Amino acid sequence: MSGRLDSGITTRTHEWPGGKRCVAVLTVDFDGDCREVGRKETPLGKNSHGRYSAKCGVPRYLDLCDELGIKATYFVPGYDAEKHPDLVREIIARGHEIAAHGYVHEGWDPGEQEPALLKKSHDILTPLMGKPPRGWRSPGGSKTEVTMRTLIDLGYVYDSSEKDYDLPFTAHGPADRENKLITLPNNVSSLDDYPFYRVSYTPPSEVLAHWKEEWEAIRAENGFFDLTVHPRVGYGSGSPARVGIIRDLVKHMQDSGDVTFVTLEELADWCIARRDAFARDWEQENIGGTHG
Amino acid sequence: MAEGTCFVTFTVNLQGMSVDRALHGDNPAKHFGGKAHGRYMASIGAERMYGFFRSEGLKTTTFVPGWEAEQHPELVRAIAAEGHEIAAHGYAHEDYTNAAGEADLLAKTHGILTDLTGAAPRGWRAPTGLLEHETLAALAGLGYAYDASNQDDDFPYRLEADGAPGMIELPQTEILIDAELYSRRATHSKLRKWWREEFMAAYEERIYVQFTLTPRADFGSARASRLAVLKDFLDEIRALPDVRIVTCAEALGCIEDGTLFCRA
Repeated sequence: MSGRLDSGITTRTHEWPGGKRCVAVLTVDFDGDCREVGRKETPLGKNSHGRYSAKCGVPRYLDLCDELGIKATYFVPGYDAEKHPDLVREIIARGHEIAAHGYVHEGWDPGEQEPALLKKSHDILTPLMGKPPRGWRSPGGSKTEVTMRTLIDLGYVYDSSEKDYDLPFTAHGPADRENKLITLPNNVSSLDDYPFYRVSYTPPSEVLAHWKEEWEAIRAENGFFDLTVHPRVGYGSGSPARVGIIRDLVKHMQDSGDVTFVTLEELADWCIARRDAFARDWEQENIGGTHG
Repeated sequence: MAEGTCFVTFTVNLQGMSVDRALHGDNPAKHFGGKAHGRYMASIGAERMYGFFRSEGLKTTTFVPGWEAEQHPELVRAIAAEGHEIAAHGYAHEDYTNAAGEADLLAKTHGILTDLTGAAPRGWRAPTGLLEHETLAALAGLGYAYDASNQDDDFPYRLEADGAPGMIELPQTEILIDAELYSRRATHSKLRKWWREEFMAAYEERIYVQFTLTPRADFGSARASRLAVLKDFLDEIRALPDVRIVTCAEALGCIEDGTLFCRA
């Protein structure tokens, strides 16, 4: 056991794109009214929050990214892309990455329907983007071996849905596929707006203080900072106050001189070029079966 | 920082026992204790809150359920006489989900409020936050000019695409609804912090801001301590340049004369 604890696994360090101590990604999960439509709710009244994304939230994040000089990764559900093709094109035109995020934000295991659903959103995004999306994030966290096989077969190179690790890594399975996804973990407990604006109802200034502490701890470990925001109201970060703390946070991180902001796609390519460095020791972790 | 006027509306949802009856049934023999929070509205909540508005010279848009107007006609007339706008808020805290009879309840409440105040209400808000496109279409058919149920925009917008030609949406802001925070037992300081941060950033961008208050003790702002929070906050807002507090009906006028932006 002492050997395991001495392995230093949590403090392993990597070289990062940009040559700084840390790498960071701002990920914007579009989550328009597809989420309500997927849950058979009419997106009006108290269920109208998703309509804010396309009208107000996404435009605000596009302007913010320009102001900060960073490129972000926008995860866009297929349904939202169908409804707002011009906005998807504008996200691309302004230099950002588009990645896949379900069709109607299926926050459940779609079972046998999943390959067809992944293909459906893939086929919606590809012509809009002029090239296929290369990354995927589970809407709501559901992911199975079927998901991984389908993503690999569709040509995806990374997934950003795992919660069991701090750093990028090469997925363990599935065994029947030679290609392995790069996993870029997302922390939905602490580096996501939902838990604070919906679960704990924490005011933005306190969320900012929390995320600055996250950043300082990640900085001390030369790590990977993967922040998830939703450009809607309610549980998201679309309002002026909540966009404002993202501005403050990113500036604070940039002022440290210790971080480069990239897209997840850029980070995945960086990891693919260094697969050995991003391998995990599956035997030592003794997880069994497929992983990540 | 943007220039121009920041339009702000204070709305009130006049929710008394209509809420508790929807939750616990309409048997008055059981309307005591924890099943009768709503009594606070008519017993003291509304009196204290509207007294506060009078001392502040603040005019609100007050959304009144038809059933509450039947129970407390003198209260509703008094609120109207103080210069507050009376708008409709369903009949008795029902969902609007395309169930049978909903259009009748809209028409019934419309008649009750029109008879009581002598003027047809121009605006509507879903009592539980649930509505359908058919609800908006029915409201348009009754001659309503606006809805104030949605929480999806920085500015008013036209409801053509939502099935209600001629109507305008005057959107709410979720976190500026007192019940959203007080029902989760937020402390005064937490609400103050939330509202200050959200409002100041909204003000800097000069977007349209709507606050929603409830004259109840449990999830509303009618207790003396909570009105004190509101008083401090109102003082802060009023000390800012370029803030204009309007009722919903006045906001429509500002859209017509071009001073308040409205999305097509």
